[in-house]
Amino acid sequence: MGRAAGCQTNPSRWDGEQWVSFVKYLAGKGVTVHEGRADSSVFISDAGGLAHGMPHGVVRPFSAEDIAEVLKAAQTYAVPVTARGGGLTTEGESIAFGGLLLDMSSMNRVLGVDIAGMTVRTEAGIYWHQLAETLRRDGLDYLSAPLNLTSSVGGTLGVGGIDINSPRLGCSADQCLALKVVTPTGDIVECSEKENSGLMDRVLLGYGQFGVITEATLKIRPFTPIIMKYFYYSSLRTAMEDLQFIAKEDAADYSGILTIMDRAINLLVAFDTDEREHEFFLRWRRHLRGHGEANFGLRMAGYYLLRPWKFREAGYLIGRRLTLFPEFSRPEYMHNNKIVDRTVVFSRAVWKFWGGSKMVIPDLAAPQEKFIEAVERGNEVCRKYFSHYTLYCVGIKLSNRQERYEMSCIPPGAQGIAFGCEFEPMLRDTNFSRDYLQSFKNEIYDIGVDMGLSYYRFGGMMKGYIRRTFGDELVDKHLALKRKADPAMILNRDVIF
Amino acid sequence: MTGKKKVRKGYESCSGCGVCLLSCPVWHRTQTMSFTRKARAKAMQGGATHEEIAHSIDSCLLCGACEIACPEGIGLADLNLSQRQELNRSRTAYPHWYPDENPETNRNGKGPKTASLLLAGEMLGKDQEVCKAIMEHLGGNGKTALAHDDGQDIARVMEAGLSVPQERIECFISLLRPARTLIVAEGWLHHPLRKWLPGIKIIGLGESLLSSAYLRSRIGPEDLYVIESRGFHAGHRQLVLFYDRLRRETGCQTNLDLQRTAFATGASSLQGRNDLLAAGCIENAKHILKGRRVNRIVVEDLADVEAFRRATDIPVVPLGLLGGKGKLL
Repeated sequence: MGRAAGCQTNPSRWDGEQWVSFVKYLAGKGVTVHEGRADSSVFISDAGGLAHGMPHGVVRPFSAEDIAEVLKAAQTYAVPVTARGGGLTTEGESIAFGGLLLDMSSMNRVLGVDIAGMTVRTEAGIYWHQLAETLRRDGLDYLSAPLNLTSSVGGTLGVGGIDINSPRLGCSADQCLALKVVTPTGDIVECSEKENSGLMDRVLLGYGQFGVITEATLKIRPFTPIIMKYFYYSSLRTAMEDLQFIAKEDAADYSGILTIMDRAINLLVAFDTDEREHEFFLRWRRHLRGHGEANFGLRMAGYYLLRPWKFREAGYLIGRRLTLFPEFSRPEYMHNNKIVDRTVVFSRAVWKFWGGSKMVIPDLAAPQEKFIEAVERGNEVCRKYFSHYTLYCVGIKLSNRQERYEMSCIPPGAQGIAFGCEFEPMLRDTNFSRDYLQSFKNEIYDIGVDMGLSYYRFGGMMKGYIRRTFGDELVDKHLALKRKADPAMILNRDVIF
Repeated sequence: MTGKKKVRKGYESCSGCGVCLLSCPVWHRTQTMSFTRKARAKAMQGGATHEEIAHSIDSCLLCGACEIACPEGIGLADLNLSQRQELNRSRTAYPHWYPDENPETNRNGKGPKTASLLLAGEMLGKDQEVCKAIMEHLGGNGKTALAHDDGQDIARVMEAGLSVPQERIECFISLLRPARTLIVAEGWLHHPLRKWLPGIKIIGLGESLLSSAYLRSRIGPEDLYVIESRGFHAGHRQLVLFYDRLRRETGCQTNLDLQRTAFATGASSLQGRNDLLAAGCIENAKHILKGRRVNRIVVEDLADVEAFRRATDIPVVPLGLLGGKGKLL
């Protein structure tokens, strides 16, 4: 299998032609461009930490009209504009390699909560955590969001948004009822499934190519603390089969797999109510082949006692267990053995145990029938490259909006449900070269090409895979749509096209 | 050699996750990323000088919430202060809200020798009515005495990142050594006092007063209880559970966010004491109140009274006056 995929690293920096006129024009329209180093330097990288770039200036918009002025001017002066929410991309997608950066975090107001209709209208730069803070004061919660406090609503809707309840509720983008979008030419458009639905389907899961989301109406629900249960496996295949079984039978409200390499595989399930938990243990538990922690620990002890040359690996597993699990049951976030703030708990744990100044998280998204093979092949690649890594697997319930899934993370041909797996090496104390990390990502993505899958992170540094994955016909169709919508190709340049 | 000191992670360890800014009152008010702890770390990683990020360093209210929120365990509270100290070394003029006095080095070295001492701090020291009520709650029978020297000059100078003469610190703590417990209203002083007087129990005014079942019984579900943020964050591990019990026992709301940091108005900061409005304290109080339905606001920190009074018509009462011995403010 070939490794070289022609992936870019950092795009070349835009040379600043007409920048001064652009800034002057915007000033005349009442839009301030912050050009100081202190304003720009915080945006130098993204969560991946491998791509670096500085904008010429930053705008903190406070309305759709501000953004419309920026985009109209950008079309005229051919200035690239990069929209950034939480900056949690890993392939440089939210980094401005010159040009203007729109710091969308300034648009973070909750505009209205409709308790009768169970919806919320919010500005799209808001972080999910801020939205949760507001909703919780009324005993409410959002449906699904990435397990990351500083993901923005707009950024999430632009790529999908996967939670551990996505096997039941789908991705965040599919929970969106309406949007306000500023098109690349500066038109402000309201859209929903009934109004301008074509634009809505282009913008949701559209990687920021067809507009800047400024407002969103989302479904909400009553807040409930969750009851979390863990089952342990030493076989990746068995755990994945059980994950798929849980999704198929709707046996749990939340489910996912989190591993320590392929040695300790943790299938986590969680429930919104005691009744759902009771039903799970009554009907479904006996079908699962995972063990409780004590039983699994004894089995692992037996395994490593017979393999003393692997004691170091055993030590790593024990150390990881001892440090990681208390984080999921910190007393300040628990009440009556239920996790009160799952987003806070998971997000802190994600950053504490999987975060770092550099992260590579290639992924594969597969239809149900191809998922297990894809993960097993990806796991072999992880073993080849790294001694310590994690796999995170989750299901994604699909809607019938096939148009929005086109050229997205949803794999072609998936019906009803798809599954995704992230392959994350633990880079913490080791300096791997960019070539090494890129080769690793390429090998994972080559599996996707080979099996006809998709990816969550196909933009930015991985955009060289787009044509190989989706084929020339589909990509050219979207390129034509993009050129029509964005004649100067200024919005989120180098992310996809 | 024994007792190798654990070196805390610095700005270079910041991964840029941004979790810190969710609890940052300055970010919530300004919506400006460059005013955040994350921005300062990223700028320093990129080689920026302290002068280049001076506006950000000076904007920090030193509430300490970012350190609690940081998943990397970076010592952000110390880092915020050390950056202010570094900036002071290189700049020629200080912000207008810096203290203009020098700590008094020749204070009278006398004070009460009770087991428990109350260090009232600037705001409580000025308010005789509240101070008297608090002393009654703390045990007017001589168990707790009011410290003559509460170190408020030291607190102000330290907060500005300026140096305090060692003889002033020695003079201050020598008077506190006979005590077993120090009740310290000024949250800023909790951390240094724990360092200077490791054998003495340092507690905040709220924690001390709430040991009274009577006072706790005066708090109810209609109340917003505003925790003094600096002292809370300095002793977060214990206090987060303490206040969680208070919330469950009384049904009150608190200014704790979902990350369990106490959102600060910043009214006790140097900037806030200079100008509540300009420092954003009133906006921060509004942020705390947003979406809440409460009938009364109970504050631990007297500086918060004015911030909330200017932010809302809801009555504001200091915790010390909850016993009905004083009027609503």
